[in-house]
Amino acid sequence: MGEQVLLLNRQPDRPLSLEEYRQSGGYEALMAAVGKRTPEELRQLVLASGLRGRGGAGFPAGKKWSFIGKGHPRYLIPNTDEMEPGTFKDRVLVNVNPHLVLEGIILSAYAISAAKGIFFIRPSYEMDAELIERELGVAREAGFLGENILGSDFSFDLVVHRSAGRYICGEASAQVNAIMGRRPHPNKEVHMTDAGLWGKPTIVNNVETLACVPAILRKGPDWFKGLARSKDGAGTKLFCVSGRVNRPGCYEMPMGTPFNEILDEAGGMSPGSELKAFLPGGASTSFMPPKFSQVQMDFEPLKETGNRLGTGAIMVFDQNTCLVGATLNLLDYFTRESCGFCTPCREGLPFIRDLLLRLEHGEGKEEFIPMLKQMAHHMFKAYCAFAPGAASPVLGLLHHFEAEIREHISQRQCPFKGK
Amino acid sequence: MPTLRIDQREISVPQGTKVIEAAEKLGIMIPRFCYHPALGSLGACRMCAVKFMEGPVKGVEMSCMVEAADGMVVSTTDPEAMEFRRYVIEWLMLNHPHDCPICDAGGQCLLQDETVSGGHGLRRYQGLKRTFEDQYLGEFVQHEMNRCIHCWRCRRFYQEFAGYFDYGAMQIGNRMYFGRFAPGPLESPFAGNIIDLCPTGVLTDKPSRYKGRRWDLQRGPSLCLHCSLGCNLVGSARYREMIRVEARFHGAVNGYFICDRGRYGFAYANHPDRPRQARVGEEAAPLDQALKTAAQRLGQIRERYGPGAVAAWGSTRSSLETLGMLQWLCQDQGWRGPQFFPQASLARRVKAAVARLDTGMAVSLRDLENADFIVVAGADPVQEAPMLALALRQAARRGATVAVIDPRPVFLPLEYEHLPVSPGDIDLCLNLLSQAARSEEAATGKLEPDAARFYGLLTSTNLEDPLLQERLLALGRKLQDCLRPVIVCNTDMVRETTPARAADQARLLQADKGQAGLFYLLPGPNAYGAALLAGREEVDLLAAMEQGGVKALVVVENDPLGSCPDQERLLRALDNLELLVGLDYLPSATAARSQIFLPTTTVFEKEFSHFINQEGRLQQAVPLHQGGTPIIQVGQGSHPPRTFLDAIPGGEPRPGAGILADLAAALSGEPAPPTAGDLWDYLSGEHEGFSQLASLTASALGEGVHLLPAEAQEPAWSPEPGEKPPEPPAGQLELLLVDQTFGTEELGSYAAPLQKVEEEPHLLLHTDLAADLGLAPGEQVALLLPGGEVTVRLQTAQNMAPGVAIMPRHRRLHWQKTGDGPVWLPPENIKKLSEPL
Amino acid sequence: MSTLPPELQTELAQQVAAADHPREQVINIMYVLQKHYGYMSDEAVEEAAALLDMTPLEVEELATFYDFIYREAVGKFVIHVCDGVVCWMFHEGSVFDYLCEKLGVCAGGVSADGMFTVLPSACLGFCDHAPAMLINGVFYGHLNPEKIDAILEKLRREYCDLVICR
Ligand SMILES: Cc1cc2nc3c(=O)[nH]c(=O)nc-3n(C[C@H](O)[C@H](O)[C@H](O)COP(=O)(O)O)c2cc1C
Ligand code: SF4
Ligand code: FES
Repeated sequence: MGEQVLLLNRQPDRPLSLEEYRQSGGYEALMAAVGKRTPEELRQLVLASGLRGRGGAGFPAGKKWSFIGKGHPRYLIPNTDEMEPGTFKDRVLVNVNPHLVLEGIILSAYAISAAKGIFFIRPSYEMDAELIERELGVAREAGFLGENILGSDFSFDLVVHRSAGRYICGEASAQVNAIMGRRPHPNKEVHMTDAGLWGKPTIVNNVETLACVPAILRKGPDWFKGLARSKDGAGTKLFCVSGRVNRPGCYEMPMGTPFNEILDEAGGMSPGSELKAFLPGGASTSFMPPKFSQVQMDFEPLKETGNRLGTGAIMVFDQNTCLVGATLNLLDYFTRESCGFCTPCREGLPFIRDLLLRLEHGEGKEEFIPMLKQMAHHMFKAYCAFAPGAASPVLGLLHHFEAEIREHISQRQCPFKGK
Repeated sequence: MPTLRIDQREISVPQGTKVIEAAEKLGIMIPRFCYHPALGSLGACRMCAVKFMEGPVKGVEMSCMVEAADGMVVSTTDPEAMEFRRYVIEWLMLNHPHDCPICDAGGQCLLQDETVSGGHGLRRYQGLKRTFEDQYLGEFVQHEMNRCIHCWRCRRFYQEFAGYFDYGAMQIGNRMYFGRFAPGPLESPFAGNIIDLCPTGVLTDKPSRYKGRRWDLQRGPSLCLHCSLGCNLVGSARYREMIRVEARFHGAVNGYFICDRGRYGFAYANHPDRPRQARVGEEAAPLDQALKTAAQRLGQIRERYGPGAVAAWGSTRSSLETLGMLQWLCQDQGWRGPQFFPQASLARRVKAAVARLDTGMAVSLRDLENADFIVVAGADPVQEAPMLALALRQAARRGATVAVIDPRPVFLPLEYEHLPVSPGDIDLCLNLLSQAARSEEAATGKLEPDAARFYGLLTSTNLEDPLLQERLLALGRKLQDCLRPVIVCNTDMVRETTPARAADQARLLQADKGQAGLFYLLPGPNAYGAALLAGREEVDLLAAMEQGGVKALVVVENDPLGSCPDQERLLRALDNLELLVGLDYLPSATAARSQIFLPTTTVFEKEFSHFINQEGRLQQAVPLHQGGTPIIQVGQGSHPPRTFLDAIPGGEPRPGAGILADLAAALSGEPAPPTAGDLWDYLSGEHEGFSQLASLTASALGEGVHLLPAEAQEPAWSPEPGEKPPEPPAGQLELLLVDQTFGTEELGSYAAPLQKVEEEPHLLLHTDLAADLGLAPGEQVALLLPGGEVTVRLQTAQNMAPGVAIMPRHRRLHWQKTGDGPVWLPPENIKKLSEPL
Repeated sequence: MSTLPPELQTELAQQVAAADHPREQVINIMYVLQKHYGYMSDEAVEEAAALLDMTPLEVEELATFYDFIYREAVGKFVIHVCDGVVCWMFHEGSVFDYLCEKLGVCAGGVSADGMFTVLPSACLGFCDHAPAMLINGVFYGHLNPEKIDAILEKLRREYCDLVICR
């Protein structure tokens, strides 16, 4: 399993309390940083640690912070939208150790001199929203949050923003619109780090990203880098494993752990199941056949295979699962959730979905295959990363499982139906 | 200036230009839906994809989202980009109904054009089409939501550009719906622009629905006559009926847009009662014959009483040709006049304003959008000149501060500060603002002696309301840091001193900051021209008529019975006449009363005409058709008509200028009246303001020219800026006659579509005052005016000056009982008639 | 005129006034009103607009965007059945169908007793317990018909109006 950084002292049935967290060094990083080190120092440490964003895109956190604009107030938005299908790591993280999350947020806020944080959370995580709200009060009581934190001149407060549920709200610029009470469409026209929330410098980070910060500060960037097993990787990663495995769940393992080791950690394939394919990082990544089971789960190694680490949410499919049907299910989701702002996503995804539906129902035609390919490729010219994400499983299907598509066409029905 | 190559051709463009715009400069129209020059880039439709072959950006990207940069090599015809664009079209057509045959956008549809040009012909999508229910959006805009391609233009215009929030985007994904919360009329007076913007047939022009295809229409560049801004239009006529008006781009005036008054006001030209036949007494007569009779009778009166017994009364809605010819006629015949304004006091205000404008001072609507501080003094833009409000909004969006000093409960679709003071306090407010905007040293030290002296003369009594005073001073302090201030001032309801005072303050700002602008609103589309022609001397025809010196009156495209605030007096004066000759295209009360009537054409018919807008810009309107009674009216629905004639039914009207020229010829024959070409020579001799006219070529006239002088006619500071205009007698209210967006403007009030949307006539009082008088909003009240009683419904408002009563010059309200000049009203003259409805 | 109870009206007005930017409260306000009216009725949209100084259209632009704002009447319990791919893998839609059949409703409908509405829902983030559903903010995992029956029975018996997101 390797060293536990984020899920340290994980309890099976309850979150760690403030005391428990402090017993294992919790908030020490904060006390050592606030008023003692400059925000710039913190940014440099995080940059040196090689910490990359855990929200899907893998952008280096320290680098993003270095772009922070001059204006004030500045905002930090810990992104806990987590609507990527298959992903539940942020929920587990918050539930295991809310104070680690809070300390990460406060330290990061210090690093970018943010005055206010907006904890953006999806509605199905209402219980977790309440948990964070409660613990936030505890942290405030303890002087870790609010005016003049730990007696310094650094003030920062955090509020919980409840979303009302839409996948696109996880996209950073759409999220900022959502908080401002506007329609949550993405916006590429503004630089968030200069003119984000309410026109002020804003940083959006995934909560897992932020939760890495206390340990980096406490144990140093080199230690953090050393946690990873991949060449240029850094840190540990929360992998949530679901599907046809024996022990679905969220596991913290070194960045770059090969897929099959993570599968083993999750208890291996369920009885009677053989590995047919897996999605390595949520619904917006591409299906991979078993020949990739040695792949190191990290940004770069997966990129080399033409895929993405995404959120590290591994979904495991077995020999009895129809991948055309699975892709259709994903496209149902993406079609329904598309924000509707741009044409390829709004109109192209329903077209792709329709072709998949016809294939699955045995009405498929040979010419669908090149159409699917072309359209899936064109999704990469959509406005935001939603449509490319939606196209990824389709491309994986076409690339690795074209034979299964053809079976649907030639048999004029789904080969898995009635089996 | 980045230089790039697009389709093998090189072009340099200003920094910040998007590639789609750079291509347009080369004449390459990259397909697009969401991009619009006025709204800017959005990046939503993905139609404008091109391939970047070399340079800082590589691969297929949206040309509306990428700024032109040095070294870029762009291909708009690259196969990869073309294939992507073909897919975009295919996607957009998935749900688009193939109802082009019955769609009013057919033939005028960007989606149609780009579907054809993109080569999308075969439908491959086999799924069901998404369908929506349409909404009723009012009398102007027809909704057909199934046709929507979600380009966002309507919402971006409606909310971001125009600042109204009752129309927008609901739902998500491909269920997204553009409409209102509930069916109902669109609240924005700029709503009609979404018809022009919609790239397909979702939003179409309701009044002209099913009346013709674009290629069936007689189209041409025209002008809006519904206020003094002079917005540019494209007019469309068919079967002798004016059926539609769209906005025409003009960079300095209206940009891409017009207001709904301008869009739907044209229907006066089709008014079923429009007098299209000449008349002598009660009898219809051929135009030539009626004209001869008129000449004969006018000649007789002149012989009997002398030339001064004939007078001419024109208006500010006539073309410059007609105004000029009337002027010439009066000079030639020695008649009195012409008078162009309904009241002498209004003429003075307008002349004062026009005399202050010069090239250094006047700003266009477009300039106004770049101002950083705008004082609106005595104007209510949305009601009086709606497009001004849209320009103010653009300024505000760029960060300008907008302050409105006006007694009315002014509403603007933007963030602004309103100081509700009575008209008598506007001058003082401007003084105070000036003083707060400048520190003592700066005031005296930096200014040239004349300006400093003027500054020294400014009075600074405090406003009665300390809160207002404080807000004003705070605004003044804000003005200190502004670099491009503009003063906007109307000439309608303000004191006679105010237009000049606005100019003085603008000059003071200019002296201080090196840059400042002045923007007036004038009463009517040719008020500027009329003011120049009217010259310096005062004409008061009403007085002359009352005294009996005038025996014949020639009224040209003017309806004194509708516009003169003292009708009792006017009627008495008219009774003194022996002859009333009327020329017009409106079925007005004055036209009906004329003993001899000669029908004239509208701006849309037969001949070119010119108008000068409020900033001195001469613009041309091209005739769209020959005119005549619309076939729909002649045939009463059946077509073709069953009787065949060799003349156009109802085709008799002629341009006013031509009729006047013939009248002149018939009166004397000597000297010959100027022909169309000579008229410009004549005018240029008439007034320095017209001096450019003589040398203008036909093409310059077509494009429009700024006639402003380099130095204003009235370049001196007005004396005694401290002088306080008349105050109302204690305890009395000042009655203000005002304009409304719909329902008061003369031409528009004859337009059926506008009549459907006009606000109700009402009397507006401050909420507290109404309560003191025991009156409640909604009640019918009797208003005792100098000329008699008017019954009107009461409205109240909190954000208006306390000492005034406001009444629109509504076509359904007999406001012409108020009399000339400021009207003071004892509150007891407002009496309750009934409980609120 | 507002039809809200005065205490609620004041409470919401204070909530709006306390915000740095009133508009950031729009979703919270919608949740409260939705709870009060049972769903985000037309009236609720208008109330929200009045409280936030927005037009009803502006509120509607948001209310109709989001998944957890119900613009049509719903039951006391709103059952969000996960149709994420992992849950699908385990039941291929049968949980949804079972619930609809059991309660005699179609998607979005309200059961005859006014208690339940069933909605298909994006992956709930409960894939480790697939197949899963969310009812008034509470997760239920590893579903099968017997378990579903028991849950419905329990909810019928001990109706409690739990959390905000309904
Ligand atoms: C459609 C879409 C959905 C997203 N959803 C999430 C999300 O739920 N949580 C998240 O942290 N990032 C999400 N992202 C990524 C964010 O845009 C952003 O990159 C991220 O929050 C930045 O944090 P990081 O740098 O720490 O990864 C999403 C992106 C897209 C395009
Ligand atoms: S790809 Fe386009 S429609 Fe899809 S979510 Fe992004 S912006 Fe919205
Ligand atoms: S015009 Fe460029 S994306 Fe629409």
